[in-house]
Amino acid sequence: MHPSLINPAVVGYICAMGLALAYLVQRHELVHRLSVLATLAAWAVHTVALIVRAVELGAPPLGSLLDAISVAVWVIVLVEVMIEQRSGLRVLSAFVLPIVVLLSLKTTTSRPANLAPVLASAWIWIHIALAMVGFAAFVFNFVGAIMYLLQERQLKGKRPGAFYYRLPALETLDRLTFRTLALGFPFLTVGLLLGAIWARTAWGSALTFDPLAFFSLVAWIIYAGTLAGRAAAGWHGRRAAYFAIVGFAALVLTLGAGLFLPGRHGS
Amino acid sequence: MALFVAGVSHKNAPVALREQLAVEEDKLRELLGDIQRDGVLPEVVVLSTCNRVEVYGVADAPGEARAMAFRHLCRYRGLDFSAVESVLYTHLDAEAVRHAFRVAASLDSMMIGEPQILGQVKDAFALAQACETVGPQLHTLFSQAFGVAKRVRTETEIARHAVSVSFAAVELAKKIFAGLARRAVLLVGAGKMSELAAKHLVEQGAFPVYVTNRTWARAQDLARALSGTAVPWDEMDTALASVDIVVTSTGAPEPVVKAAAVARVMHGRRGRPLFFIDIAVPRDVEPGVDGLQDVYRYDIDDLKQVVDANLRERAREAQRAETLVEREVGKFLTRQGEVEVIPTIVSLRARLEEIRVSEVKRTLTRLPDATPETRAAIDALSTAMINKILHAPITKLRESSRAGASRSWREAVHELFGLGRRS
Repeated sequence: MHPSLINPAVVGYICAMGLALAYLVQRHELVHRLSVLATLAAWAVHTVALIVRAVELGAPPLGSLLDAISVAVWVIVLVEVMIEQRSGLRVLSAFVLPIVVLLSLKTTTSRPANLAPVLASAWIWIHIALAMVGFAAFVFNFVGAIMYLLQERQLKGKRPGAFYYRLPALETLDRLTFRTLALGFPFLTVGLLLGAIWARTAWGSALTFDPLAFFSLVAWIIYAGTLAGRAAAGWHGRRAAYFAIVGFAALVLTLGAGLFLPGRHGS
Repeated sequence: MALFVAGVSHKNAPVALREQLAVEEDKLRELLGDIQRDGVLPEVVVLSTCNRVEVYGVADAPGEARAMAFRHLCRYRGLDFSAVESVLYTHLDAEAVRHAFRVAASLDSMMIGEPQILGQVKDAFALAQACETVGPQLHTLFSQAFGVAKRVRTETEIARHAVSVSFAAVELAKKIFAGLARRAVLLVGAGKMSELAAKHLVEQGAFPVYVTNRTWARAQDLARALSGTAVPWDEMDTALASVDIVVTSTGAPEPVVKAAAVARVMHGRRGRPLFFIDIAVPRDVEPGVDGLQDVYRYDIDDLKQVVDANLRERAREAQRAETLVEREVGKFLTRQGEVEVIPTIVSLRARLEEIRVSEVKRTLTRLPDATPETRAAIDALSTAMINKILHAPITKLRESSRAGASRSWREAVHELFGLGRRS
């Protein structure tokens, strides 16, 4: 990521987040429009920054975990805007943008220039790209689950508050968590498999301990369990939402492990 | 000429007085005709609903015009004008504009945000147009008011949240299900309220409708009325397994829908939510079902609570609507104000231009050797002078007009520049 461009993009995302939260509180048409504008502007700057970074590196900007997170953020924002435009789910940004901001704040720090030579291969790019697309899908899975639980609480509690008015129907939210799970899971699976295969070719063994790989396997098991429960046992609603949150917590640990613990993914 | 509105509404007059003043449509035609014949009110619209009777007018002497209009009104209804006069409110100019906008936008209604009032104002306006009592001022006022009302409806949520129990139930259903199309409804018991709720659900696409009742004939009657299917009373549990929304309103002293039965039914539904709207007192659905996943139960008190929350939400939105109206009033007055002086400005410009052109022509005929450059310079010089001279008076006219006091200025300009008589 290009450091001189990433900062304006992050500032843009922060502005957009502030406006999105303001819209959640005080539903003002203008505030929403400004929020969308800020998001699009920040995303455009972010796009340029990614291109500049790719040109600098002469490779996809996925070589370090921080670069990869930045790409994931880029995908998340794109998908967020698309969902909002298509479904009219205008409060989505108020839930997604805080995550975007947290992730992108981390990417403003400096990072290693590129991959270690031992890793350079087409497969590694696909491994990282798939894992990041999967991660983006699970961000929406998590957000859908949070919104589901909030709305369910309001409806069971019978005392309509702000969220009752702002959030869509339970069924819509449950469908969102299911679809994002069904979409994210294959990406995560193939991404993990490619990683394991690559580890074997690069280091001779697919199973040597790596903190990031370990937590991502935990997340994968949780998501696999949820998907199986949904498909076979009719899991849905609150239970599916709890699993989505636990799965996402595992993914956060995965990123944390990659960023802060020594290992093959570490910086 | 001043714009004014005078009348009575639910805010200042009891229904006993309002109902005496209310006029039906054909009487209103006569009334508008009578008012116009008197000649003090060149423009007039009369709005008569069960919550307000108001006269919107344009007149040189609003006080006199108001008294005249209401004297006619009282004569129609056999009332004593002096008794009415004391409760009448009157708004002039800016206040009248604000009032018209607030009424059309349903901000002055008894139930804020209720949708009927806009239609009533439109009807009153159309009637006055048909009777040819609408002139340019009221025409602008009312078309603006309709625009403001539309903006308030689309940009705020003043009219969005249900304020009746049956509509609140429909809204709740929409927060559980993604759309009500093809959702099956079961009516347990045959009360008036449950029938109303079922009708609202059907309007939103709910289908099919099942009706069950202890009295088979009653179930069949209601099923026919709602184009639904009657279900025998002891097959209620089977119906529960397949429907999405249940509306109960029996007169039974004990709950007729038991938590245990619902728990059994939920197993086979694979997470499809079940929504109970229990309008009966004593209640028909055991409160124990609240503990079951995917079951939502709202009894009459819960629904009232939702309605109360909706009312608070509407009040909050009404605040936003007031701000919007205030802005529109400001814009309207600015435009309106400048409209008044535009004819004066146009004729003033035309007059000076006429002088300039003729003087330039005269000068140039005396300078036959002038080069094209000289001619152009003379032309430019004269134009610049005119514009400089005009700048101050035009600014002053616009200002005075926005302040609502352009009349004497307009007259002065007409006199000083010999613009001929117009106002």
